[in-house]
Amino acid sequence: MKVLVAVPALNEGAVLAQVLESLSTVQPLADVVVIDDGSRDATARIAAQAGARVISHAINLGVGAAMGTAFKYAARAGYDAVVQFDGDGQHRPEHIGDLVAALGDADVVIGSRYAQSGTYKSSAARRGVQRLIARVASAYARTRLTDATSGFRIAGPRAVAVFAEYYPAEWLGDTVESIVLATRQGLRVRELPVGMNERAGGVPSQSVFRATLYTGRILFILGLATIRSVPPQVRDARRRNVAKESA
Amino acid sequence: MTPQLLAIVMAVVLLLAVIVLLRSYVLPEKYAVIWILAAIAAIVLSAWPGLLAAVSAFFGISSPINLLFVGGFFVVILLLMQVTLELARTRDELRRAIQKIALEQEEQSRSDD
Repeated sequence: MKVLVAVPALNEGAVLAQVLESLSTVQPLADVVVIDDGSRDATARIAAQAGARVISHAINLGVGAAMGTAFKYAARAGYDAVVQFDGDGQHRPEHIGDLVAALGDADVVIGSRYAQSGTYKSSAARRGVQRLIARVASAYARTRLTDATSGFRIAGPRAVAVFAEYYPAEWLGDTVESIVLATRQGLRVRELPVGMNERAGGVPSQSVFRATLYTGRILFILGLATIRSVPPQVRDARRRNVAKESA
Repeated sequence: MTPQLLAIVMAVVLLLAVIVLLRSYVLPEKYAVIWILAAIAAIVLSAWPGLLAAVSAFFGISSPINLLFVGGFFVVILLLMQVTLELARTRDELRRAIQKIALEQEEQSRSDD
């Protein structure tokens, strides 16, 4: 299975070289693509110097759009699976093999911090919020998801085909809306316990206002997903495939 | 048919239009919240005229319809402001994207020689 590791990065120049170096122990950097999402620092240059492939967005479009670009690139370049791996050093390369192995009985596998009694520390309020989101997301995916907003995940061949056509680009849509989208397309979603590091760079948004906005946004996306139909791009792609098969 | 019924029907049609547009991925989520709120406000105000009268009395406005006009005008101005800012941002992003494409094409044509 040809696996692409996609690193969406926005101004990660400070830690990116280190992250790519740790990635290179498990994955040839020629099969790592850094999606520079309109960074104002040296992110793109550092990634290219390290030997990774680099795709630069001219302007900042958000994580969802960056992954959308990665899926389109993967489909073009003939990759079977895409791993999303953060550029801030939070994710651990040694789990990539586990994610690939877990594709055997799933199309999307999400690395979860909370599935196991991990060492990952977070505040009580944050945990409560995560639990609420997890409960709603689990109901959609019809499987237990404890860390639905995790950015450490893998998409298998069938999921790459769908996500290359359409990947939610609006704020936080890439986390939970992608799960609903995959489930709707008949793809199997499951989670896998992983360990994570404390963020090397950047501060997590902890203010009460941000947290409320974040939770409200995610629940709004999930609520919206109940009334939404299939994205037109995915529907068109499916129609093309049916036409191809019958021809 | 009473005018109130007409108002309720119009407000419900607005809400349904918003939902249909959202459902088919035409209306982006970013603007969905404000439109859903506007539609719900329209339904509440038309179904419950007493509310408008009560709020008007609180502000000392003798004719409730004036509150509706002032309030509605204010909301429309805010929406217009948001659209203007959004348009400015989009133009800026478009300019940067086109400049980047142009620079890269130039670079490519040089390396082709």
